[in-house]
Amino acid sequence: MIFDSYEAYKQAGFKPKACILGSGPAGTTIARKLGAAGIPVVVLEAGSREFSDESQDFYRGATVGDYYFDLDITRLRFMGGSSNHWAGWCRVLDKQDFEPKAWAPDTGWPISRADIEPYLGEVHDILELPDFRPDVPVSDDIRWVQLIKSPAVRFGEKFADELDKSKNIAVVLNTYATELAGDGKRVTGAKLWSNGQDAGTFSADYFVTCTGGLENSRLLLWSNQRSNGGVVPNATALGRYWMEHPTFEGGNAVLANYSEFEVDASNEAFFSPTLAAMERLKILNFGIRLIESPYPNVKKLIADLACTAPNMAEWMSSQLDQRLHCAAQLYVAWEQAPLASNQIELSKADVDHAGVPRIELHWKKSPLERRTLLEGLRLFGATLAQKNLGRVRIDDWISNGGDYPTNEETAGHHHMGGTRMGTDVLKSVVDANCKVHGMDNLYVGGSSVFCTSGQCNPTTTITALACRLGEHLGKVIAV
Amino acid sequence: MSGYLRKMSRRAIVQALIALPALVLFRNQPAVTEPDEIVEINGWILRRSDLA
Repeated sequence: MIFDSYEAYKQAGFKPKACILGSGPAGTTIARKLGAAGIPVVVLEAGSREFSDESQDFYRGATVGDYYFDLDITRLRFMGGSSNHWAGWCRVLDKQDFEPKAWAPDTGWPISRADIEPYLGEVHDILELPDFRPDVPVSDDIRWVQLIKSPAVRFGEKFADELDKSKNIAVVLNTYATELAGDGKRVTGAKLWSNGQDAGTFSADYFVTCTGGLENSRLLLWSNQRSNGGVVPNATALGRYWMEHPTFEGGNAVLANYSEFEVDASNEAFFSPTLAAMERLKILNFGIRLIESPYPNVKKLIADLACTAPNMAEWMSSQLDQRLHCAAQLYVAWEQAPLASNQIELSKADVDHAGVPRIELHWKKSPLERRTLLEGLRLFGATLAQKNLGRVRIDDWISNGGDYPTNEETAGHHHMGGTRMGTDVLKSVVDANCKVHGMDNLYVGGSSVFCTSGQCNPTTTITALACRLGEHLGKVIAV
Repeated sequence: MSGYLRKMSRRAIVQALIALPALVLFRNQPAVTEPDEIVEINGWILRRSDLA
């Protein structure tokens, strides 16, 4: 069932056991799991079926620190959530991403990759993916990794019919919770806003916030403030350890034979470090994306090399005679160190139309990440040179320690952390089952529970975690 | 230093001076390198042999 307003929903007399806030990949997946288990669930979606400026305005906010995207651009507030502008790139976090790393504080999850692997079959169906292929070692330091460019499922479009026909799932559009109320053990109710006005209060046995990697923190921070700590009793880490995937062009490579690497349909290939290399260099995970260079760039690159290694440049010129596909731009996206200082705060000056403080995001890249970028490119360059697969030139701003450019990709629009998973209540917000520490009926879905970011796009892992949470919650509610 | 030189025989000083250019040459001799050694020059990650 899909309703366009809370008023219409109320008239239907539906009695849900659980309330899910948000209809993005996490919210929709959890709702489908609960619905399939015969558990009545209501999904409150703040937006409508389509994008609107009015709805999107609720996402405006401010960023303090490094340059970042406008907060109302980097996510979407309508049915299907940010899957509506997702590029569709899929990969699950690596096994090593879940492990603690002695050289990077506050890393490590309370679960391992093996805990989400049983759900990957479902994830492949949901996201319409072929099977993942194992990584291929290129050297002791570098591995070829597969990143599937999927059809980019828009959850609102794909599942609208199924949700509309469901007897166990009610989706209420244009409706969201401005705040949750709690007594330190349970969420006792939610204050609703529907179609531009106060819609009263609502209660359910269980609540799951799936409003995104920025909004989950905002909702819980505001709710906790209004409930005097009654919604997140252990709130030290709430809003903190926020992460992105910084993404910049890192250099170029001239390749002996482009076809040496397995490339995807866009003629791109992806590489990451081995755990041994990360340990040895004390760096984080990263992904290097090879994008075929246009011909004029190749000539420029060879001319540059001629000043340093004339014979090598001559050899490359001969390669260019043989094939035009001989050079690539190197884009690097890397894992961000989880830092408590990278955090979501509530604005003290600005509120949205419903009176909820907007987000003030504090975000800075750390020296460890800067080292990961430089050493990662060196590692990749050394592998290509040692194997005679090609030669890499690192961009000057990286070699010389210059400022990050402000005219490049910047980051992946991947919002992770803020309500991270863990066992230490001072450094996490939810437990291994995504339940808020100290609360009996409040769960969190989505990438805000990520403890570390790894290097890959988060949607596949979000969906796997949502399958796992949906199954767990189904068992809890059924008892 | 001058006291030290006074203690040296004239022959030893001449021999030292004759030897000096050879020592300088020896010092400038490049270290033994592996052709496969990875070097970073002007941002390029190269093998030493690429520079030949």
